[in-house]
Amino acid sequence: MSILEDISLMLQQGKAPKVKQLVTQALEEKIAPQTILEEGLLSGMSVIGEKFKNNEVYVPEVLIAARAMNAGVAILKPYLVEEGVEEKGTVVIGTVKGDLHDIGKNLVKMMMEGKGLKVIDLGVDVSAAQYLEAAKENNANIIACSALLTTTMNEMKNVVTAVKEAGLQDKIKVMIGGAPVTQSFCDSIGADSYTPDAATAADVALSFCQ
Amino acid sequence: MTERERFIRALKRQPIEGHVPTFELVFFLTMEVLGKVHPSHRQYSQWNQMSVKERELQLQDMATCFIDIAKKYHHSAIFVHPNPGKPDDTIRLLEIIRERTGDEYYTMMHGDPTYSIPDGDTMLDFTTALYEEPERMKAQSHERTQRALEWAEQLSHHPGLLDGFTLCSDYCFNTNPFFSPAMFSEFIAPDLKAVIDGYRSMGYYTIKHTDGNIMPIVDQMVQCGPDALHSLDPQGGVDLSEVKRLYGDKVALVGNVNCGLLQTGTDEECAADVRRCLRQGMEGWGYIFSTSNCVYTGMDLERYNMMMKIWWEEGIYGPNGGQAVNAK
Repeated sequence: MSILEDISLMLQQGKAPKVKQLVTQALEEKIAPQTILEEGLLSGMSVIGEKFKNNEVYVPEVLIAARAMNAGVAILKPYLVEEGVEEKGTVVIGTVKGDLHDIGKNLVKMMMEGKGLKVIDLGVDVSAAQYLEAAKENNANIIACSALLTTTMNEMKNVVTAVKEAGLQDKIKVMIGGAPVTQSFCDSIGADSYTPDAATAADVALSFCQ
Repeated sequence: MTERERFIRALKRQPIEGHVPTFELVFFLTMEVLGKVHPSHRQYSQWNQMSVKERELQLQDMATCFIDIAKKYHHSAIFVHPNPGKPDDTIRLLEIIRERTGDEYYTMMHGDPTYSIPDGDTMLDFTTALYEEPERMKAQSHERTQRALEWAEQLSHHPGLLDGFTLCSDYCFNTNPFFSPAMFSEFIAPDLKAVIDGYRSMGYYTIKHTDGNIMPIVDQMVQCGPDALHSLDPQGGVDLSEVKRLYGDKVALVGNVNCGLLQTGTDEECAADVRRCLRQGMEGWGYIFSTSNCVYTGMDLERYNMMMKIWWEEGIYGPNGGQAVNAK
């Protein structure tokens, strides 16, 4: 088994110290940092994402794998910067105004980072204006909105409206998700995408950036 | 037969006459209905500074909120949310409810020591600890269970105040449980069973609540022995008929009226959902009617009123379980 396959496997098993050790070893073996990222870390995270989507693994397994990925990325980061390797796209993410729930949003963030996307996390209780401002500042491809409450999900419509009023609807896609959110709600407010789970959200976000 | 007795018969899956019992975990819209702030929304920062008389008045006022909502909506049970929740004041609040209503209502309080879904800030540390320090996490869970049982034991010295505990640690998202079935078996089920057994040995009933898709772990939850399962979340894809088919002979079922729909659906969609729940739930006894979560802040009260109007007109048992023919 190649060292890249080892990295992928150890990541899937959530073994952060082993991933760090293997990434360091791969760099010493002069494997290109981007290759280590793509074929080791992101490949492993992609396997976990698929398994999560298919209900073969559960959230703790995703979290522990994401922790291992972050451990590997931390070692790779200076080399990636030095080589000018850029993220595949930028997402501004947050839980909508009035809503303080963040586990779903954080899961989506991890999955998106696992696809090689840069994710700007605005936290919770984020207004439409805050989403828009951060998206413009960071030249984002996507605004991703999370809500757990039926009483707060209508704030998502304000985000869609803000993007349209700024004339940025062709540049910035608005993705929505959360427990009460449905495809019909997405259609009714004119958002670009509703996804039912974190792994699918990451897949769709990546497709929007390609 | 009192509402309490009817509620207990429903928990035991025994036949009852008249309406299928109903209650809510929380009814937050007390300002709209009673002109009073809900007890959980009150901030008693100067509680200890209050005179005995002032504290008693506050407790009486909180009791009024719980009792008047139960009366208005014909609830069979009162879920008491003590605030600020000090032991002596909690016991006094329960005493007041009993003094003013006798044994009319089944009373319950929170009492779940098992781990729930962590929040976004702590989820990684929590999960890492499950993987790297499993024995410490199990020991911590056992300690929480012991503390819950000690509190129950303290309450049991005041017989007749409290009928049961409702265990509200959430385990599930819409798509799946947070914990895999294997992790649930290792970290949750042993203490869930221990606390349920402990409560039962003291004479308390138990209702286990969780939102979301319980199906991958529902078998384990039922094996832990609660008297009832609450929420049966349709937004998590939980099918009331299917759970009834699988476990209706082992556990009573509570809830399933789609909260999301009450917020966003049309009147027709909501009415159809309420009728579906009554039809599916009342079949063969062992059902308690409620929303799939609670009457939460921000819910349209008119929707709850509509739900309860249908319950009043149609949620009536026939002689063999299921809805009475003339009630449909």
